[in-house]
Amino acid sequence: MAQKQTGKSGKKGLIAVLILVALIALFAVIYTVMSPSASEGSKALTIEVIDNEGVITSYSIKTDAEYLRQAMDETEGLTYDGTESDYGMYVETVNGVTADYNTDGAYWAFYVDGEYCNYGIDSQPVNDGEVYTIEYTVYSY
Amino acid sequence: MKKKSVISVKDIALIGMMTATIEVAKDTLAFLPNVELVTLLIVLYTLFFGKRIFFAIPVFVFLQGLLYGFGIWWFMYLYVWPLLALLTFLFRNQTSLLFWSAFCGLYGLFFGALCSLPYIILSGPTAALAWWVAGIPFDIIHGISNAVLCLVLYKPLQLALRKLRNAWF
Repeated sequence: MAQKQTGKSGKKGLIAVLILVALIALFAVIYTVMSPSASEGSKALTIEVIDNEGVITSYSIKTDAEYLRQAMDETEGLTYDGTESDYGMYVETVNGVTADYNTDGAYWAFYVDGEYCNYGIDSQPVNDGEVYTIEYTVYSY
Repeated sequence: MKKKSVISVKDIALIGMMTATIEVAKDTLAFLPNVELVTLLIVLYTLFFGKRIFFAIPVFVFLQGLLYGFGIWWFMYLYVWPLLALLTFLFRNQTSLLFWSAFCGLYGLFFGALCSLPYIILSGPTAALAWWVAGIPFDIIHGISNAVLCLVLYKPLQLALRKLRNAWF
């Protein structure tokens, strides 16, 4: 009798385990189907790089970045480097090309929709549809 | 004739010990997200000490509020843990280890769904559904860890509690 009860209860236990496994699988499916996929950024931007030889490289990205630096970080193929300061980064190298102001007055000029950029890349806000131009420029005296 | 009180002094001491062990178990494993022993302890205490658990749970929940603040999650605790004890009480005749492992696992799996209920009132059904779906991976971890912990610890704890109950009552 006791054995019979154990057998019955064992069967119920097994059924309960099967229900658990089935529900875990079901939950995993619900999550896969219903969870929001990594959404593309809501701002479409264009970043143009004009190097020291005048070659233009253009990048189109979609981002949720607030500031230009984050948008540049997210841009595939675009590399940059510079010196950190209290005002953010002073960009010296873009796509491997270094502008050295102390040698020949060269610097990387930043433009937003053709207008000279008044802020550093850390504080320049980015808006949908804007075109950012990063141009190798030599200051002429 | 002296009227028998609802709970004895021994019961009060036992309720204190149940609360303390649940509290310690909760806080000891708090660093592991969704891995907890509260479910297993409430199940075992309900099976061994019956209605007394319904006195221990409010004390535990109140202490949690005092320790971590009375946020929305605290209101979830008000019904989630008593419901667990109630369900355990309903299935109290089950003796299979597999059954209780699956039971603890299922409770962990549905923990997020149960906790999403206040959001139906606060933010609407769609937001509550989104909240639940976003937490499913954690619910799965919760379910699996509950089942495994029960599978491993149910028998030794059952043995210890049986000894305690025999010595106590």
